[in-house]
Amino acid sequence: MATEHRTTADDEGGEESGLPLGVSVAAAAVAAAVLLPVLWLVKTGLDVGFDEAVALLTRPTTLEVFLNSTILVALTTAACVLIGVPLAYLTVRTDLPFRRFWTIVVSLPLVIPSYVGAFAFVSAFGPQGGFQRLLAPIGIERIPEIYGLEGSVLILTLYTYPYVYITARAALKSMDTTLIDAARTLEHDRWETFKRVTIPQIRPAVAAGALLSGLYVLADFGTPSIMRYDVFTRVIFVEFGTFGRDTATLLSLQLVAVTLFILWLESRVRGEERTTAGGRSRTAVSLGLWRYPAMGFAALVAGLALVVPIAILVSWLGTASATVNQSLAFEWGYALNSVTVAAAAAAVAVVAGLPVAYLSARHDGLLPTAFERISYVGYAVPGVVLGLALVFFGSQYATPIYQTLYLLVFAYVIRFLPQSVGSLRASFLSVDPALPEAARTLGQTSAGAFRYVTLPLVAPGLFGGAALVFLTTMKELPATLLLRPSGFTTLVTHIWTAYESGYFGQAAIPALVLLFVSGLSMLVILRQEGYDVK
Amino acid sequence: MNDQHGTPTRRRFLQAATAAGIIGVAGCNTPGDGGNETDTETNGNGGSEGSGPEQIGSGQSPFGSRELSGVPMSEMPDLEGELTLYSGRGEALVGELVGFIEDLYPNFTVRPQYNSAAELVNQIDIEGDNSPADVFYSVNAGALGALADMDRTQSLPQEVLDFVPQNFRAPDGSWIGTSGRARSVPYNTDTFSASDIPDSIMAFPETAAFEGELGWAPTYSSFQAFITAMRILEGEDATREWLSGMQELGVSQYGDEFQIARAVADGEISAGLTNHYYIQRVLARRGESAPLSTAFTQNDAGAVFNVAGACVLDTAEDSTLAANFVRHLLSAEAQDYFARTTFEYPLVPEIEPIGRLPTIDELNPPEDLDLSQLSDLETTIDLLRETGVL
Repeated sequence: MATEHRTTADDEGGEESGLPLGVSVAAAAVAAAVLLPVLWLVKTGLDVGFDEAVALLTRPTTLEVFLNSTILVALTTAACVLIGVPLAYLTVRTDLPFRRFWTIVVSLPLVIPSYVGAFAFVSAFGPQGGFQRLLAPIGIERIPEIYGLEGSVLILTLYTYPYVYITARAALKSMDTTLIDAARTLEHDRWETFKRVTIPQIRPAVAAGALLSGLYVLADFGTPSIMRYDVFTRVIFVEFGTFGRDTATLLSLQLVAVTLFILWLESRVRGEERTTAGGRSRTAVSLGLWRYPAMGFAALVAGLALVVPIAILVSWLGTASATVNQSLAFEWGYALNSVTVAAAAAAVAVVAGLPVAYLSARHDGLLPTAFERISYVGYAVPGVVLGLALVFFGSQYATPIYQTLYLLVFAYVIRFLPQSVGSLRASFLSVDPALPEAARTLGQTSAGAFRYVTLPLVAPGLFGGAALVFLTTMKELPATLLLRPSGFTTLVTHIWTAYESGYFGQAAIPALVLLFVSGLSMLVILRQEGYDVK
Repeated sequence: MNDQHGTPTRRRFLQAATAAGIIGVAGCNTPGDGGNETDTETNGNGGSEGSGPEQIGSGQSPFGSRELSGVPMSEMPDLEGELTLYSGRGEALVGELVGFIEDLYPNFTVRPQYNSAAELVNQIDIEGDNSPADVFYSVNAGALGALADMDRTQSLPQEVLDFVPQNFRAPDGSWIGTSGRARSVPYNTDTFSASDIPDSIMAFPETAAFEGELGWAPTYSSFQAFITAMRILEGEDATREWLSGMQELGVSQYGDEFQIARAVADGEISAGLTNHYYIQRVLARRGESAPLSTAFTQNDAGAVFNVAGACVLDTAEDSTLAANFVRHLLSAEAQDYFARTTFEYPLVPEIEPIGRLPTIDELNPPEDLDLSQLSDLETTIDLLRETGVL
């Protein structure tokens, strides 16, 4: 049954005094590591004169682009929820045909760098793009404008809804469906049941996913720039381009402040967090004839997000391959490099995320909440700013690991930690604390109870988090460029090299390999999950 | 080289100019471009494939077919040791050249770090004394000037500096240009003819035909350098007025200048403000039929000639090796490579540009403008912000 356990925990533990020591120390260490780059941000940002800072922040253009950013974040986040949650429901709770296939396919847009998607969409659907030329003979002179707010929302939604999809999916997987059966016996119809039983249970997970989407959009520069929509990050970009690093850093700190505000907002949306006895799921909802439109929906989303950019890139490949120089020759080693660092980042991020997520799900109070919220800070800072912060720490205090894979993986973990924390935390919330307690009374140590009872129950969240970190590391660019060892090429740096020099066709092969390799890895991750969950 | 239309000015450059017959049309190493046009480009003289290092010193280009004058790499000091190169120029554009130089010497290794120029400048600055970088290779003089202003460069030896004319290097010898790019006006030939494009950049806001038809990319460093030049040449008030005038004209904003050149070729807009090689890249892919051509304004900010170049950093472990590497970028082979691969202007006077381009002497950049003056971007950014462009 759904019961409110947080109050119980408080009654027993009396706020923070009851925090488990080992877990708390581990969580504190993780939080400290995340805060390390922020120290540099604060130090550098403070070098800006106060007057200059105020003048810059209160200029009409700054306020205007700030408003633009806000609108973009709000609309995109809403659209992500509207696409991600139904897809998650369809692939977890219904008898949708080929569910595993759809699960992988609708997760994959996450690995496509959104600027590549934006570029492809502009080429396909721009005012004089390929699509328009296709329609011109049948008399269609103009197609709806792709540039601007609408286009930006479309593109960013297509490439960030998987955050919501993956976290919502994990929550639905570990949800106790007996509640739904109970509701159904009480003669609620399906919609009513979804509203009153399912939504409250998956709300923390959906909020976590929406948060990841929203913060991604907030810190993105490339996509709005191609879509010709002015956002706040442009101000930062211009400052960097003119070597005004102090100012750029100060502005990034403002992004952190906005992030803190969004985090606060999200903690309101999370609302009452319930815990349930998880893991029992039996009946799948039968879609009947609805399975066709359902598959159509999944195919449409994946088709737009995956097929359009790949088709555009491949169409250019044919015209570009003959004359290209040897620097752009593709090597399979790039794929191996990508998978290696992404897997390492995913593993470390999950391990580092465990104590933070566990503490914040199980204990109220200032410290657990602070540790969890702090884990988002690295994610809120634009990648290039985080990269430069680590350039500072690496070159000044950690020379032996500077421009090695160790520092690179560290950077990924700091950037993407909230993805594992968010996913894990939502799963911990869905585990009834009575279960590990029962194991304790049966003679297990607390570590044993965690290993044999809690961990299997949170496995969907664990693998969901690992999948998120893995997929986003596969496409991470700015920190990779700053911190990679000399000559270390990944699939995405290779795509960037081709793209940035205008050899667009040459981006097709690494992009296809990126999708293929990520798809395979997803299959492996999902299979692991299958073993651990009944 | 004469204009096809017979106008006396040399500023417009049209199809007829086939680079003195050296290469038929641009593009054996053509940067790709989108769109569905068939690739009509072939290697002008054929037979560039398979030419390799064995041709070094023969006076033949190793990257294509043409006789080269200038100093070949074989007459330059040998390179030996390990060199860390921070390159703001893309691997797709210069990687082959770097690899070529590396392969020439058995005991020479380059450790390249490719990224955008602005980020590398920030990185070098943050790394301070611990920077592993020996040479910084930049897309523009602004980034080089910024490093020189931070006192992070070493003076290059005079015999290296002597490769290029004085106006293409820092007066104090802290950096040297290796290839050049001109500001230009791409226009759609279905909408405009050459004579429709004003000679003066300052006349653009008053040109009624440009209403709603122009594109610019204010976040792009070359655009900002162009506005800086306008500030220096025309004064701050005139520049402010120009910026406002352009906005009243309904100029469209783009993320980068390649996008503008493509948009002009597509007819999405009819003209724009870009570096010259973006037009060449689009043309090289789309072929003769693309309705895209280049105009240059005369002796004003609209015709600024900027350079990509290199400097040796103060943290260089072996400054002689670093300077000699820069010297190799000025070799006949390297200069030919730039003309061929990136459609830039070679700066060593003996090497001709490739593509439908006027020669460097036929351009009319503003007189009395020192490239190192263009590194003061801050005032420009303030102006762009004040006018609401940024």
